[in-house]
Amino acid sequence: MVTKSDTRPTSKQKQFNLLTTFGYDETCDPTSIISNPSVRPTYRIRFLHMDSVGLRLKIMDDLTTEVIVPEGEYESPDEEHVKKSQGKTSNFPLAPPVFKETPKESGFHKTIRTCLQKIREAMLHHRWLEASQFMSSYCQTLEDTTATMPQLQSEMIWKMGTEILHHNPNSKIEDYNSFYERMKNSGVKQYLVVCLEHAFHFLVKGHFEEAKRQLSIAESWRYGRKSAGQSQRIKLIQAYKGFLDYLIWCNKKATLSIMDDPDAGAIQEMHSYFRQSSVNLKEVMKTPGVWDPFLLSYVDMQEFYNDHDGALKVLNNYSYDNGFPPNPNAHVYLYQYLKKHEAPPKEQIQVLKILHALVPSHALMLEYCSLLLQSGKQSNFGKALGVCLDLLDYACWRNSLDVWSQVKNILLRLRTSEGWSEIVEELMVKRKDWWPALHFTHSSSSKENGELEEIKIFVAEVLCPSASMYSYQVKRQSRGESLCKTKKTKRKRNYVTSRKCRENLKRKREQTSRGRQHKDQCV
Amino acid sequence: MDEEETGGYKEPCSICAAVEWGISDEGRFYCKSCHNVIENMGGNGWFVRVFSSSSNTRLKPSWTWESVPTLRTMFCVSFGGCTFRKPDKPTPTTLSILPNSKCAPRTQSQTALQNPLCGLPVRQRRRVGPAEQALQQVLFMFVHLCVCVFVHHHLDLWALCVCMSCDLNLSENSNDGLSVTSGSADASFYLTPRQRKSQRMMSMPKTLALCYLALLWAREAITLADLLRLVSEGCIPYVNAHEGFPEEMRLYGRDALIFRVESIPSHRALHKEAYTLAVFLDLPPFPPITQDCLLHPSLLTIRYLTEVNLPDELQDFVCRVIEQAGMEDEAFHSFRPMKSTCLLPLYDVQAAALVLVTMKLLFKLDDRREWDLANTASDMNKETPGENCFNVRKWYKIVESALTRARQRQEENIARKQWKSQKVLYTSKKNKAVVLKRRRVAEQLQMTFQKLSGLSTSPPPSSPSSFCFRWGDEDGAVDGPSLHQQNLGSLVVLRDGELQPSNSTYWHPSLRVCQDRGCKSHYEEVEATLPKMFVWLVQLFSFILNVQPSCVYEEVLKVERRFLPKVPN
Repeated sequence: MVTKSDTRPTSKQKQFNLLTTFGYDETCDPTSIISNPSVRPTYRIRFLHMDSVGLRLKIMDDLTTEVIVPEGEYESPDEEHVKKSQGKTSNFPLAPPVFKETPKESGFHKTIRTCLQKIREAMLHHRWLEASQFMSSYCQTLEDTTATMPQLQSEMIWKMGTEILHHNPNSKIEDYNSFYERMKNSGVKQYLVVCLEHAFHFLVKGHFEEAKRQLSIAESWRYGRKSAGQSQRIKLIQAYKGFLDYLIWCNKKATLSIMDDPDAGAIQEMHSYFRQSSVNLKEVMKTPGVWDPFLLSYVDMQEFYNDHDGALKVLNNYSYDNGFPPNPNAHVYLYQYLKKHEAPPKEQIQVLKILHALVPSHALMLEYCSLLLQSGKQSNFGKALGVCLDLLDYACWRNSLDVWSQVKNILLRLRTSEGWSEIVEELMVKRKDWWPALHFTHSSSSKENGELEEIKIFVAEVLCPSASMYSYQVKRQSRGESLCKTKKTKRKRNYVTSRKCRENLKRKREQTSRGRQHKDQCV
Repeated sequence: MDEEETGGYKEPCSICAAVEWGISDEGRFYCKSCHNVIENMGGNGWFVRVFSSSSNTRLKPSWTWESVPTLRTMFCVSFGGCTFRKPDKPTPTTLSILPNSKCAPRTQSQTALQNPLCGLPVRQRRRVGPAEQALQQVLFMFVHLCVCVFVHHHLDLWALCVCMSCDLNLSENSNDGLSVTSGSADASFYLTPRQRKSQRMMSMPKTLALCYLALLWAREAITLADLLRLVSEGCIPYVNAHEGFPEEMRLYGRDALIFRVESIPSHRALHKEAYTLAVFLDLPPFPPITQDCLLHPSLLTIRYLTEVNLPDELQDFVCRVIEQAGMEDEAFHSFRPMKSTCLLPLYDVQAAALVLVTMKLLFKLDDRREWDLANTASDMNKETPGENCFNVRKWYKIVESALTRARQRQEENIARKQWKSQKVLYTSKKNKAVVLKRRRVAEQLQMTFQKLSGLSTSPPPSSPSSFCFRWGDEDGAVDGPSLHQQNLGSLVVLRDGELQPSNSTYWHPSLRVCQDRGCKSHYEEVEATLPKMFVWLVQLFSFILNVQPSCVYEEVLKVERRFLPKVPN
């Protein structure tokens, strides 16, 4: 399992998704990943191997690029732990045990190993009280004097502790605070990340001022030379600081709007938050990355102060700067902004055209289609048809009445123009093979309603004449009931007639036999 | 305060005949009327109090043997008041302690009990250098102190034993002068890890081994497995023994390393250590393990029968097995370190093996016969309602469930065990701050999570017990009903005027002794071929004694070699 080194602040998910610490992904072989050239440089993996505790832990970290290959284990067997004969290894591809006993294990390390195992079990079964009880015993690992990686110990405590704190019903804000404070000071490398997480916690709980204070502390912290990861984190911290200023600004705005006679000081305060926030956010927006929520908050503020040029400039930069990673959302935001401010349809079409190239199945494509139709140009009709057909290529739009009726609509309008059959031909060349199987089959029609069926029959006749069997099938299916009825009555009638016939025959036979008897008697 | 402390000593002064004793700064008794200082006093209860009231001693920046007068005096007291100096420059003349001891006149039996080692000369068998000889003597006294600790149940004194142990280091190239980094005089010998690991250095496991020797000497009913359990339950301060040291004994530098205990030695390792030490010390033959001594198998097996919930009637058969194996002789169990062929017996494992052999004799334990016998027993119980026959199936079910629970409990206890002490240990001033900070962080985190768990800090400390399981019908019994009163019923038949087991066959694995010297046990190889019931019993005893199953198995083989008639080739 490899996580993408993404600077996108994806809400609080990141801090809750921490169970990977336990080495669930034991199946992947470290050497294969190291030698595999397909691993892109953005995926950075660190393997940590702890001989002392007997754990194999793999922690994905985008901070360090170093790859630590597991070292050889102690070869001196203790007389107390007699090693089983090596020849017995099975051929099954079993994952290596997570909590393995090392040959020369001290009692302290055994406690740590057992404790970790117990915590893992308790967490997987959601027994949070038990987990926190074992966690309190596990904390003594910080005092391990023989630890090869003290950093890892505190990191594990941090991750497991956060998880337990989030789920424990007894946890209070003071517990969080004291826990984060301890964690911040137990390792230099973690300081900024823990600060960020602490701020996230406040943010989720709605304590914006507290969160901002945490970030300010983190911002002013310096240790040693600035590493690449450290400067990235500082950038994130700045971004969140701006975002928090924006949230506070929003609150102030809401309270001022309720007040009848807002006081000048309060307005001034609100403006100062705007200034702080916009400085930070503007700075952040210069760095390539995915900054969606920050961008939206910046644009919102610019809109409030009627700085449309500034907002547009940022939006355009975010969408069209080649240094930024391709981000469909950027174009969506730009289009929404343009639409909101009633920009000329040509500009809107331009934005949607790029979005169409990036995400052909986007919900905005319907709007793109109607914009093209509104323009009234004949050439755009063909484009609109292409956009709709692209949508229908995706399974999620397969049964959408809107799209199908749009297609019908376009076809009706297109048929009036010349050369329409070529346009259709061109669009259907690639789809001829698989569209009938996707859309125009008996099984697909059985789930649809009558209206959609009718539209599809029409479209099928125009686009795929080869799929004419479809209309026949659908028609026959709709006529199915009446047909059955007539058949049944026919059968009944047949049955009745046959019986009559048999009776007649019988009567005839009897008559003849009687005649014979009569003849015999006469003879 | 003096009266309180000297209350136990009622001997009249030899000069003025007054009974009015006080304690001097040096910790000696002096007569308050004539100021006559005496060096002799009895009563072991006394120096416990001295130990606790050592606050008036001079505080020194570093502690050495000489700098803590109370400790020195205490030590002298326990040996009948001879002057004792730490033999950093050992001369044999200063160490002639034991023959000169001036014990208060007691009856012979009292002396034997109070001072079991008193009067026994240290014999010289090997050619040893003066340094080694001095070490021998000091260790010898140490054993004596341990005897005092355990015979008189003054566990407080244990701290003294432990702190002494770090001072009991000698080497051929003993140099004087205090080390800068450490308080103790001989810290320089600990400088390299190799030296620390070498056999000459005193260590915590060695302290425990000496303690075991002392227990053995005093013939206390505490086996090696019991001692280890007491240690792991925390009844004997071993893991963080330095917490109990007096204030003025501040540990730092290299000394701290001795007390950083991160492991409890295994049964096997400790047994080996005790044996090596006894041989090194040239200890005289240990008091014989007579029939009435609790370490004798005939009595020890009763304990293990009770432990595993077997009927008391089995004891009769166990005794017969002991008899036939020729193991009732006290010479067989007495430890004579100076006799090279005599190994230190594993009393506990041996008793368990005897129980196992008896079980095999009665039930055959071949995964077939014992269940047939169980069926017969249950039929008998059904037919005659008053009958209370021992049913091995019922017994297995009860013990198996208790064993599973106990294993689980043990695992949880291991996971919860605290190894780090409140009192931090640091080797140098430089890392003092780091260690203190780590301690603080860990402590606070522990408190946070302890609060979150909503449970009490630790399970209520149970009083030390020799038993792992508690059987019975009353409230205290948690493991299941007791089967001790059941009779053997159809398991035995009257043959030739005496009860014989109804099972007439007996199986055993190959009894040939493995000639490979490095070979310890073949249990791992043969385990799969052995009957499951037998393996289960081996595992049950290995859990109770906290030893490896192979150790129990090997002991069973040893008993069988003696017990079974020799088959001529």
